Amino acid sequence: MVPMNAVLLLSFLLFALGVAGVLIRRNALIILMCAELMLNAANLNLIAFARHSGTPAGQAFALLVMGLAAAEVAIGLAIVVALYRKKDTVQVDDINLLKG
Amino acid sequence: MSFAQGLLEALTKDLPLLYGPALLAVAATLMLWPGDRFVGRGNKKAWAFVAALVLLAAGALALTAPTDEGFNRMFRVDGLTKGFQALCVMGGLITIALSQPQLNALKEQTVEYYALILFSVCGMMLLVGATDLVSMYFSLELMALCIYVLVAYLRHQERSVEAGLKYFLLGAFSSGILLYGISLLFAAAGGVTTNLAELNGRLALVSANGSLLVYAGVLMVLVGFAFKVAAVPFHMWSPDAYEGAPTPITAFMSMAPKAAALGAFLRVFGTGFQGIASDWMLPLAYIAGASMVLGNVAALRQQSLKRLLAYSSIAHVGYMLLGVMSGDAQAGAQAIWLYMLTYLLMQSGAFAILIYLQGKGEGERIDDFRGLGRRQPVLAFAMMVFLLSLAGIPPLVGFFSKFILFKLAIEQGHVALTVLALLTSAVAAYYYLNVVAVMYFKEAPETERAPMGSLATLVVTVSCALILVGTFFGFRLMDWMGRIVLG
Repeated sequence: MVPMNAVLLLSFLLFALGVAGVLIRRNALIILMCAELMLNAANLNLIAFARHSGTPAGQAFALLVMGLAAAEVAIGLAIVVALYRKKDTVQVDDINLLKG
Repeated sequence: MSFAQGLLEALTKDLPLLYGPALLAVAATLMLWPGDRFVGRGNKKAWAFVAALVLLAAGALALTAPTDEGFNRMFRVDGLTKGFQALCVMGGLITIALSQPQLNALKEQTVEYYALILFSVCGMMLLVGATDLVSMYFSLELMALCIYVLVAYLRHQERSVEAGLKYFLLGAFSSGILLYGISLLFAAAGGVTTNLAELNGRLALVSANGSLLVYAGVLMVLVGFAFKVAAVPFHMWSPDAYEGAPTPITAFMSMAPKAAALGAFLRVFGTGFQGIASDWMLPLAYIAGASMVLGNVAALRQQSLKRLLAYSSIAHVGYMLLGVMSGDAQAGAQAIWLYMLTYLLMQSGAFAILIYLQGKGEGERIDDFRGLGRRQPVLAFAMMVFLLSLAGIPPLVGFFSKFILFKLAIEQGHVALTVLALLTSAVAAYYYLNVVAVMYFKEAPETERAPMGSLATLVVTVSCALILVGTFFGFRLMDWMGRIVLG
């Protein structure tokens, strides 16, 4: 069996990658992908520890999170498309109408 | 017991707890399909009426629900649930009323608008009763996902879409942090439960030996919640989202989701994670203090009333977090509930007037309020009542709710924070009074007077009347209400 600390380390790396991506990348689509990566890092924890303890609750949680991630992407892409139609860009640096 | 029997039993025993939110979800779905097929293009306005009725019915069902726990201890109906559910329903109703002029003027009446409001209120009603991190997380997301769309609803206006995107990206980011925090807590507790009460017991044991997992997990959950209630330093999205969103949705965001998220805050931190309070108390104190200071100071230099209300709502959240920090969960819940109730009245009235002025082609800038005292004395008087009450000037209700909250905080030993809250309230009085001064003491060119919509007039009248009534009865009334509703 894989040691639990290895799982935690892997999930932390995934999470850190997601956070770094959200903070560094300027393309709205890539930010969206990185946010999904963060959800998947959490999923990995949920599944691994549920498997470790032998109870199914965490695995069900992870399944629901996948459904949620799909809904989130659907809404996010819709908003990005709406913005692209107005401004012809998906770079968040070009989105600066509201300030202060 | 077979699966079918178990399911049947769960449905007959537990479902009454959820009649309110379930009605919202079913009704909103039926409105979208097949309901909308039978309504002509010009008659979409009728959906506002239907949605308001559904909300009223859901509110009544929620208030009469049995006080119990159900669905494998995922959802609980008690005074806290009912009190905050009522606030969310009120927020939804007020929003529907305030939306009418703008949606009619822009010809943007659609069934989706109302369905999204109903779905998000459904999420809020589930959120305040959630006693399990799973149900809490998903109802929070149901609420948030609908609001992202509502913020970007005016998709032909650049700033609405921009606000929607900003809110969405930061919201998705924060929900990732929240979920990762939950997964760490789940891992730290051994991967067997997500129930708040059970988790609390297990985490307290683990945390006694100083567990990094618990500490990191609870901090991330705290950050996730701070994003949702827009507390400093996780508030960056809120002024932009508030300014860009359609104004009725701005009003909605400053009332209902805030009430729901604070209810969940109370549930998760005030009662849930008491065993590991030492891990989150200090960070929460910093968040509360920073929100009071930055919210009020940033509001000082705003030219737009919408942004001013956004920043001041950050400060108000800072005050309410004092109630979450109180060790006495019951008293904290009562104080926050009363604060939120009065805040809802003041905020809805102020937004009703703001929307009216916007509809006349005047903007949302504070300068546009010049001479309002001469042009429309009644309206200006109502606005003055709302603003003074928001500032917490005695003897208006805003003062009483602040007093109750601060008194509780002092009793619980958060003296330094309460002093900070008082000092920053004085700053707040300056920018609220500034708007009043602009209304009464600055001259403006005469503009034509347009009648105010009947629904908006109703909102303003009722809010203003309730604030004045509350002023006369003061503490006794509020004390009584807090006890009746929250038990």
